[in-house]
Amino acid sequence: MLEEKRKTVTERLASPDIRDEFGLETMDMNMGPQHPAMHGLLRLILELDGETIVRCDPIMGYLHRCQEKIAENRMYPAVIPLTDRLDYFANMHNEHGYCLAVEDLLDVEIPPRAEYIRVLMCELMRIASHIPSIGFLLLELGAFTPILYAFRERERIQDIFEAVTGARMMFHYIRIGGVKADLPPEIPEKIWNYIEGLERRIQPDFIDLIEGNEIFISRTRGVGKMTPEQAVELGLTGPPLRCTGVDFDVRRDYPYSVYPELEFDVITDDAGDVEASYRVRIREVWQSIRIIKQCLEKMPEGEVMADLGRRLRPPEGEGFGRVEGPRGEFAVHVVSDGSDVPYRVHYRDPSFVNMQLLQEIVPGHYLPDIMPIMGLIDPVSGGWDK
Amino acid sequence: MLEVLNQEPFRFLLTFGALIFLVLNLAAVLTLAERKVSAYIQLRYGPNRVGPRGLLQPAADVIKLFTKENIPLNRADRWVFLLAPAFMFLPAVAVWLVIPFSQNAVVADLNIGVLFFVAITSIGALGVIMAGYGSRSSYSLLGALRGAAQMISYEVPLILSLLGVVMLTGSLALSDVVNAQGGGFWNWYIWPQLPMFLIFFISGIAEVKRIPFDLPEGESEIVGGFMIEYSGMTWALIQASEFAMMAVVSAVTATLFLGGWQPPLPFLDLGAFNWLWFAIKTTLLLFVFQWIRWSIPRFRMDQLMDLGWKVLIPLTLIWIFVTALWMLIF
Repeated sequence: MLEEKRKTVTERLASPDIRDEFGLETMDMNMGPQHPAMHGLLRLILELDGETIVRCDPIMGYLHRCQEKIAENRMYPAVIPLTDRLDYFANMHNEHGYCLAVEDLLDVEIPPRAEYIRVLMCELMRIASHIPSIGFLLLELGAFTPILYAFRERERIQDIFEAVTGARMMFHYIRIGGVKADLPPEIPEKIWNYIEGLERRIQPDFIDLIEGNEIFISRTRGVGKMTPEQAVELGLTGPPLRCTGVDFDVRRDYPYSVYPELEFDVITDDAGDVEASYRVRIREVWQSIRIIKQCLEKMPEGEVMADLGRRLRPPEGEGFGRVEGPRGEFAVHVVSDGSDVPYRVHYRDPSFVNMQLLQEIVPGHYLPDIMPIMGLIDPVSGGWDK
Repeated sequence: MLEVLNQEPFRFLLTFGALIFLVLNLAAVLTLAERKVSAYIQLRYGPNRVGPRGLLQPAADVIKLFTKENIPLNRADRWVFLLAPAFMFLPAVAVWLVIPFSQNAVVADLNIGVLFFVAITSIGALGVIMAGYGSRSSYSLLGALRGAAQMISYEVPLILSLLGVVMLTGSLALSDVVNAQGGGFWNWYIWPQLPMFLIFFISGIAEVKRIPFDLPEGESEIVGGFMIEYSGMTWALIQASEFAMMAVVSAVTATLFLGGWQPPLPFLDLGAFNWLWFAIKTTLLLFVFQWIRWSIPRFRMDQLMDLGWKVLIPLTLIWIFVTALWMLIF
């Protein structure tokens, strides 16, 4: 139905005769970069026919910080704090992806305890990203309250991060060859208690309140509908891809770290709309809880840092690391010329790639549907602008 | 001196001045209530720095808004732009003229009080259109178009849902409606008219433009809609009128369906202090307004229209028929 409507709207506006005859006009509207509900600094140029969107052009670059170029002038370990500033809702995944790429270049063995700590931190980060992203989705639909419940969970995870890494957002914790420091002795129990509490809260505080809400369903069901083929063509990854039914997860399909040793399910949904992406996200939180529990149980004792010497000089060549971030696949490509600074670093950020669906999917929707569709992508401006 | 004050122009000016005073204070208190209620719903404390437990927060807000610059727009249609807040605020004051606060405490006991309420609240839609059109901004225009469509559509179920009560009472005067509901809570019109009560309250929320019907504002897509270009006191007046309208709808709902100032049980009659019952009922309804506001997301324009025209209006028509049948049989 949406396809038909989109077609009729475009055809109607494309024909100059009709435009002249009835005096039909479209209105151009600028949304952002200073728009209260926009994720970060995104600017959309919209062409509206009444409230129906005819064209949607996303314009990016308002938060561009030359991350890739700066990385070329820094020694290998000094790039890690920069990766923290990419997607600031998935810092651990960024660090992990970069470290995997450099370790691929160096060909080193990571102590197993460090691998478990990395996975543990990444999964906590995933929860700290998925739950607020659900909160943001509802915030954009006009419900202000869920975001504060979501941030309650994020705050507690940030407290754990603070105890482990010393920082709440910009961790610089995952290092090349391991992690900065071992977990403090009381932390495993603290994480366990938090996870158990979250497991109890997530059903009554989120799922029960959101999924049965008629208005939520009517605002999200069928909105941003896409087919699996479309999603694959657009190169989507993460929840936007899995909500169309494509069964792809880097953690399982291109395993890294200790994921092969852990049990978890890849969540997919068939609907391919905003509601499905919400369902995928909230169910991935359950899987993350499962992984965290397994990590805490299986974690071996031992070193957390491989001995790499004082100055890193990777051999000439190329390194590649990919991780499954909360928003999708985060990949890093590092090229070395044998010196102590990388010759080139490239980040493939899921926010940037997933943003492509705006131009494809949005035309034909009503103006208020942009917001749930943004919630489907859940982009972070630090990620798409680098 | 007092005799002069009791004569017509002075009497009217005094009562109207008192009403404006009442409504402005009500709006101020409601802003604080809104913040506190939302805070407790959202695991927060709310304002608690100005005065004891944040009670002076409205005063601080008013001082802030008064000292703010009222930014004039070069391209705005100046008079339309400046008059719009007044057009929104006046209906919120004028409706209080016909609402009975207690046995004899009603400013003007019009014999067409219900009609007066309906007529005066429609002026609010005019204010929204003026604000959106006068600002000459695409966001404002979208907000005004939405506001006009919404308020006119929801006026239909609002009026139709009043008809049941009018039919049962046989009078359009609000004091008659209240008198007919005396004797205990089982005589209130909420029981025979339960669907109408719900429809009236829902349409009332839409009339006040609050979540889930706050599309003219829609801060996540059209950033405040018709009020985007306002600042300082003009903005404060729009906000005050919104809160005052909320109080009006609550008061009218309490009057029509919850027995107005009538006590819930006969022995709870407070005599001259029966206005307390009216205040309690209105406050409870205001709390429901805020409860809804902070609990659920908003509709989309087409869904809003579907709800109004395809659900609420047929339901009211059916219930008018049922009421007529009931009256015919008994």
